[in-house]
Amino acid sequence: MPAPKWLIIAKNEYRLRTSRIKRLRPFFPFLIIGLLAAFLLLLMPAIINLLVDEIEAFFLSQVALAAVEIMLFMIFIFFLMFPITYTLQQAETGQFEILLAAPLRPKDLLLGKFMGEMPLYAIGVAVIAGIFTAILSPLGLDMIQMTIVILIFILIFFSALWIGTVIAAILRTRLGKTARGRDIGKALAMIIALPMIALMYAIMGGGLFEALAEPETSGTVKTLLGLFPSSWGAEIIVDFASNPGNIIAIWFETLIRFGGLIVFFVTVLWLGAKIANRAYSLEPTTFTAAKAKPDGTFYKTVKYIGGGGSFGALLVSIFKDYGRRFENISKIAYLVGLLILINIFIIGSDYGSDENGENPVTELVFASIMLAAIFPLLVAFVVGEVTIRGKENLFIYRKAPSGEGRLIKARLLQSWIVVLPVVAAISAYTAITIPHTTYILMLIYTGYMIILISANVAFALGLFLMMPVFSEKPGELMGNALVIMMVSMGVFIISIEIFGGIFGLLMVIAINWIIGIVFLSLGKRKLSSIE
Amino acid sequence: MKALIRTDNLCKYYGKNSEIKALDRLNLEVYEGETFGLLGPNGAGKTTTVRILNGIIKPTSGTALVNGFDILKEEIEVKKATGLLAESPGLYEKLSAYEFLEFMGALYDVPRDILPKRIEDLLKLFGLYGRRDYLLEGYSRGMKQKLLIAAALIHDPPILFFDEPTSTLDPRAALMVKDLMKGLADKAGKTIFICSHILPIVEEVCDRIGIINKGKLIAVGTIDEIIARARTETLEEAFITLTGGMKEKELLAWREQKSASA
Repeated sequence: MPAPKWLIIAKNEYRLRTSRIKRLRPFFPFLIIGLLAAFLLLLMPAIINLLVDEIEAFFLSQVALAAVEIMLFMIFIFFLMFPITYTLQQAETGQFEILLAAPLRPKDLLLGKFMGEMPLYAIGVAVIAGIFTAILSPLGLDMIQMTIVILIFILIFFSALWIGTVIAAILRTRLGKTARGRDIGKALAMIIALPMIALMYAIMGGGLFEALAEPETSGTVKTLLGLFPSSWGAEIIVDFASNPGNIIAIWFETLIRFGGLIVFFVTVLWLGAKIANRAYSLEPTTFTAAKAKPDGTFYKTVKYIGGGGSFGALLVSIFKDYGRRFENISKIAYLVGLLILINIFIIGSDYGSDENGENPVTELVFASIMLAAIFPLLVAFVVGEVTIRGKENLFIYRKAPSGEGRLIKARLLQSWIVVLPVVAAISAYTAITIPHTTYILMLIYTGYMIILISANVAFALGLFLMMPVFSEKPGELMGNALVIMMVSMGVFIISIEIFGGIFGLLMVIAINWIIGIVFLSLGKRKLSSIE
Repeated sequence: MKALIRTDNLCKYYGKNSEIKALDRLNLEVYEGETFGLLGPNGAGKTTTVRILNGIIKPTSGTALVNGFDILKEEIEVKKATGLLAESPGLYEKLSAYEFLEFMGALYDVPRDILPKRIEDLLKLFGLYGRRDYLLEGYSRGMKQKLLIAAALIHDPPILFFDEPTSTLDPRAALMVKDLMKGLADKAGKTIFICSHILPIVEEVCDRIGIINKGKLIAVGTIDEIIARARTETLEEAFITLTGGMKEKELLAWREQKSASA
């Protein structure tokens, strides 16, 4: 009798996921199980033993439910987002034709993909469930309670992963067939992380955790959180911690909540299987091709900035290719969102916490260090475009007379035009949010950040030419982004530490510009030798 | 002669008011053991036809029988009866050639006791046996194409569909694919359906051809019949005549405009 089709797909998926460790593949499950066993049976109990009293006090306190609820919710959302983000980054439908031509049903394909990825996700679930059970075990939970806790984790996280897998498959079908769709997918992959980050920051610095922990308070967030299955699980766990070894005392609540989790899991599985046909289809989703409009005021201005003639036209072309990719716009939107969140929840909440809290200049210097960590990411995302489209793209410039020099000039100008308005707006906003900042101080601060980040752009361009990233994979770009971030923050902190005061701040700019010019020259030399 | 593929007013329309006619009332018969070529310019409806006949997408109206099975009611049987070399299929780059064929064999229910020997034979036939354990990401385009043909043959189907089989290959690999298609038809008695716009290959391999343009089948017959019908000397001229094309004068018109403005 032939093997079920979903099992064949799952086996293949597992092979694909473990192709890098092909030689280890036969031993991989045993290796992982061994490591997990050592972690959960030896390491975790040893750590927990040191903290038994604190754990007991925590579970008996009124913050316990809110803390467990938030933790499980965050992990639930992470598990839901993971397959979506992974798929959106590489929304290709090429392999579907081979699979859909084979005698199998779409739900076999969906289930197979899910089950194939399951062993790897199961590692994460086992680690999280193991940590929780290790924390709960010293409280005296009986075997039934412990088994239910483990099942809660399995039901919650596998529901999240299944929902994520189904959404990912639908999005891949909708977006993966056209270049524009794939571009939108990559843009979404960036943006969907923002609400999670917002929630995290709201908990860290926005007082959300305190509000949720207060039993008297109610509100939309609290009500919404209660609708998620992660909250039902959290309530059972906290109830068990309060009634260790006595499930009878809370049998009704446990039955309702645990039953709810099972019903939720079965329902999402059933719904997923029902819509599998839509999740895997090669029917075209659109026949509308993107069309370029005649140049408007913006491009005319860019051309004017580029001197009008052939260089202006070159600058506009680079700008169009950059600006028409949703992925690029989403990266900027993501970082702007991140910077606003940092301003609201970290820079804003930190104001007045130090001894010089009343001095806006001190606060602005502190804010600059935070911004010096995020702006380089923006710079890397924008400047990284110089090599990201591959060597063939660079060779177009090399073939043209004086092409390399014009490429550098155009990329530098384009990056400044994109990055500096964002830097100006965020810097001005940061300055405004700090009390006692005068109008003049805001202007000086904004101007300072513009000059500083202009130097970072030059440095980044040189770096990307010296260490080109010929791939659109975000991981490879992040290497250079980290270098830019480290240099930017390093120069800032060291200069302030060594020179101090205004002179230190001026030295930050001088050193950054020297680094920028040196790297740009070295990058130009490297550009002519890339093969 | 027994028709292994028979389409009956097969239509595929897209758009809100079905304004895009990817396939418009296609009536076609392909006989057992025949090599049939479907010719047409880009966007004519060739790939849509192949996808419908392989049960990958559904027609808007009409139906078809493939190896005697209805594409709408007996989709699984249709898929078992056909092998498909798609135009631009995505390979699993992180699998080796052996693993890929093993996967495809399992998908098509090739019995486990037969599968290893068949994979070995196919890899040897296509000259890939020495590289069977290398990941596909390191394969050349020609090698990938050979492997995809091997994958289409893994369950030994009576009908084979080749969608643009040589369009991305170098001359040597194209010749190999062409010889293979001939061999499969002549020696193995397979029914072969080729979609292409590379005329010399179609001319050499196919017994009969159909020309499709804007979703409509505009001519069917042997190559001689098509040429005679179009009143031309060659298949290329017949193709251009039937589907429309530019004359040399029109092609160089832009140079005359430049001279005039200069």
